[in-house]
Amino acid sequence: MKNNTANFSLKSYLDLAQLLTKYRGTHEENRAFALSQKEQGLKLLSLWKDKNLHRVLDELDSFKYLHYLTLFTSLFGFTLLLLGFFTGVALLSYSGSQPVNVIYLLLVMVGFPLFSMFLSLLSLFTGNIGAKIFSHFSPLYYLEKVINFFPFAKQIDFSALPFSSTLSKWIFLKRLQLFSFLFALGLFLALVFTVVSKDIAFAWSSTLAIDPVAFQHVLSFLASPWQNFFPSSVPSLELIEVSHYFRLGDKLDANMVQNADKLGAWWKFLAMATLTYALLLRLVFWFMMKLGFNQQLKKEVLRLEGVKKLLKEFYTPFVSTASLKPEQHLEVKNESTFLATEIFSDKYASLLAWNYDEKTLLLLQDTNKITATKSYVVGGKNSFAQDKAIVDGLQGKVLIYVKAWEPPTMDFMDFLEEVLAKGSVNSVEVCPLGTANENYSSNASDMKMWLQKLETIHSEKLEVIDV
Amino acid sequence: MSNYPKFAVVGHPNKGKSSIVASLSLDSSIQIGNTPGTTQVKRGFPLKVDGEIIYELFDTPGFQRARRVFACLQEHDDVPADKRADVVSEFVFKHKENEQFRDEVELLEPILNGAGIIYVVDASKPYGAEYEIEMEILRWCGQPSMAILNLIGEEDYREDWTRALGQYFRMVRTYNPMTARHNEHIELLESMAQLKEEWTKPIKKAIIVLDELYDKKVDESIDTLVNYMVEVLSLVHKQKIKKEEASPEEKEEAKLDYRKKILQLEKKERKSIEKIWNHSEIEKNEATLALERVGLFSKESASIFGLTQKELIVSSVATGATAGATIDLLAVGHTMLLGALVGGVVGGVGAMFGFDNLYEVKVLGKSLGRRELTIGPMQNLNFPYVLLGRSLYHACMVAKRSHAVRGNLDLEDSTFTQELMEGENRKGLEKLHLKLRKADELEEEVLEAYKKLIKKIFLKLL
Repeated sequence: MKNNTANFSLKSYLDLAQLLTKYRGTHEENRAFALSQKEQGLKLLSLWKDKNLHRVLDELDSFKYLHYLTLFTSLFGFTLLLLGFFTGVALLSYSGSQPVNVIYLLLVMVGFPLFSMFLSLLSLFTGNIGAKIFSHFSPLYYLEKVINFFPFAKQIDFSALPFSSTLSKWIFLKRLQLFSFLFALGLFLALVFTVVSKDIAFAWSSTLAIDPVAFQHVLSFLASPWQNFFPSSVPSLELIEVSHYFRLGDKLDANMVQNADKLGAWWKFLAMATLTYALLLRLVFWFMMKLGFNQQLKKEVLRLEGVKKLLKEFYTPFVSTASLKPEQHLEVKNESTFLATEIFSDKYASLLAWNYDEKTLLLLQDTNKITATKSYVVGGKNSFAQDKAIVDGLQGKVLIYVKAWEPPTMDFMDFLEEVLAKGSVNSVEVCPLGTANENYSSNASDMKMWLQKLETIHSEKLEVIDV
Repeated sequence: MSNYPKFAVVGHPNKGKSSIVASLSLDSSIQIGNTPGTTQVKRGFPLKVDGEIIYELFDTPGFQRARRVFACLQEHDDVPADKRADVVSEFVFKHKENEQFRDEVELLEPILNGAGIIYVVDASKPYGAEYEIEMEILRWCGQPSMAILNLIGEEDYREDWTRALGQYFRMVRTYNPMTARHNEHIELLESMAQLKEEWTKPIKKAIIVLDELYDKKVDESIDTLVNYMVEVLSLVHKQKIKKEEASPEEKEEAKLDYRKKILQLEKKERKSIEKIWNHSEIEKNEATLALERVGLFSKESASIFGLTQKELIVSSVATGATAGATIDLLAVGHTMLLGALVGGVVGGVGAMFGFDNLYEVKVLGKSLGRRELTIGPMQNLNFPYVLLGRSLYHACMVAKRSHAVRGNLDLEDSTFTQELMEGENRKGLEKLHLKLRKADELEEEVLEAYKKLIKKIFLKLL
């Protein structure tokens, strides 16, 4: 089976969105492109984007945005790494008189990361409301506001970027996992650094009256992911008991002093807890967010304006009906200088009926009260020889009836020219007639058509009668 | 030689050959006129699917010297029927460069190259024996043929014509390119498919393709129309202001810009619809489409394409009551149908006030001390109906318009809204219009429901 899905990155998504605002191709081009490729779906869309991206002549939005995002990520990532490191150093600062409280460390190294992961999950399952509450909990929300004052942020119109609130949430959550990871890494490095460079006495102390056995159960539960691999990093009940510290008294308990060598053993547990909950679990979350972000991005790609149409064009056959041959445009004259008269002459030497039959000719003659010495049917099914014989016998004034609704064909024009060329013919009157139902009256548009055609003959012998 | 079916549309000048080709090839760019000789050379209009030609139609000039051509053909004594096509070919070859027979050569060439004959006559005018010579020439060509009765005028001489044409052509069909719709187009193609056995398969394929193309155009029109509705209904115009409060001039300027944007969107939508239906050269009745005169923002327009205030109140009462009744239903009747009553009153009162309430002008504070004026989204409850009525009517008229028609598109019909506002449609539209104003939160399901409803109305209007 062909791979129909492509991993759209933020860059390719932005590039596609920008390209679609500039160029979408025609159905013909897009279909031809789809037929030339083996890929389908989003992968095909991605290939189309790669092929046409050169059409975007402006600076790519993705370049500016990703530059901003990278800068923002690097800046805050580095800041948070340092913050984590110095937080760790501060938390682990040991003057020699008072031990470092393990509970406090656990809250920062395990409790805080687990809480933020919980909030991340909450924002995933409660839609935007969760994300909004969550964002206000995070210092990043405020940091992001601060970054808007940096000059580079002003170069981007964020409202013009094609990010839905859901996609923005995924971008934010993914980056938050990274920042939290770096913060935890700072803590972890501080722990390693302090443990190596100093001799720290760890102890645990709480206002709550916590029983060492219960505390040991909690710690064993926390250590369950690694207790089979690193049993030495699970605090024993003995260690818990000897490192129980009370805030009263200006110096260390004698029991603690006696077991001073054991108090340092807490570091292994703390290191494994940070490694497991703040770093490894965070990586799992980061991976989850990455998957979620990719899924959302795919949905957003399909929602981009123009994408649905583009995909439809890829899969719908292109149908064309246009002619390849350009049209020879006929210049149509609207007015004719040739004018028609409305009165028949008193008498005609010959009456010709073009494309009529004998019966109709007699009827027409009677209806219009035309006096003609001779009358003939011409055109129609007559042979040329028959018509020629009629023309040869013409003289004097000739009236020709024609069907007004039938356009003057070249066959008629040839015939008319022959009649006009005849020396014995004094004048020729052409009378376009309407149908019997119209009482043989021609309509204006038909008459115009005849006048325009007949004026091309330029003969003084020729007249047109409009009844 | 290509094997796809070809059809030459031939006949006397001015009998609507180009109109028929324009209608069948869905091409409104073909020059059509009542001046004889408008078509000067033959032009092929192939129906291509992904570059593959399924069939080709030829528009040809009309017969000009049919008698003379036939006289030339008859110069050959006692030509047996199987050799007559050769005689016509010989004539075409001999007179290819002869200006006297230019039109006849142009029209006979595709037939001699294997095209079927579609002979067009104007059946609104009386039959004349002079046509028999043209028909005889075509019979000599020996190709499958059919005749089309085109009713250009108001009279009807189809009976006479059918009797005469039946002696020369295998089939006689009536087809009016000016009024023909998609189904008539398909029926004509089905007739053409019967002309020759080998042509049946490709023409059937063409029918499937054209049916799909038609459905695609309908879907694209609905998408365009719905996107336009969402865009306009949710339109918010923002404008920076100098002081704490917007001055009357600033408000007026913002209102003008807002209107301008809506008009631009309407213009864009109209163009897109016309492009979908391949009517890019269409000329509209300016008086109807000139929004400045009709006035999208005036109460008068409501009576043209929107609802009257009374209709709007009835519709809103119905929607409000439905929502209230749902509450009653959930409370299993404990509310004593109060929900429906209250819902109805709320809806009705809202409509009464919403009729004149066009849009809200707000001044919003912005960060860094900047202030801006925002207009929209349009609050007028009647506005979506005005918008939808105008657009549906335009889309419907464009979709129905034959490609043979060259006149202006008339967009005036005051009865149009009745179709749009039938009971169930009205209720559905009222609910969805309220949701469309919030484009940011618009769910895919709402959009789909709206498209479905609009498509239902559109198909009914078609």
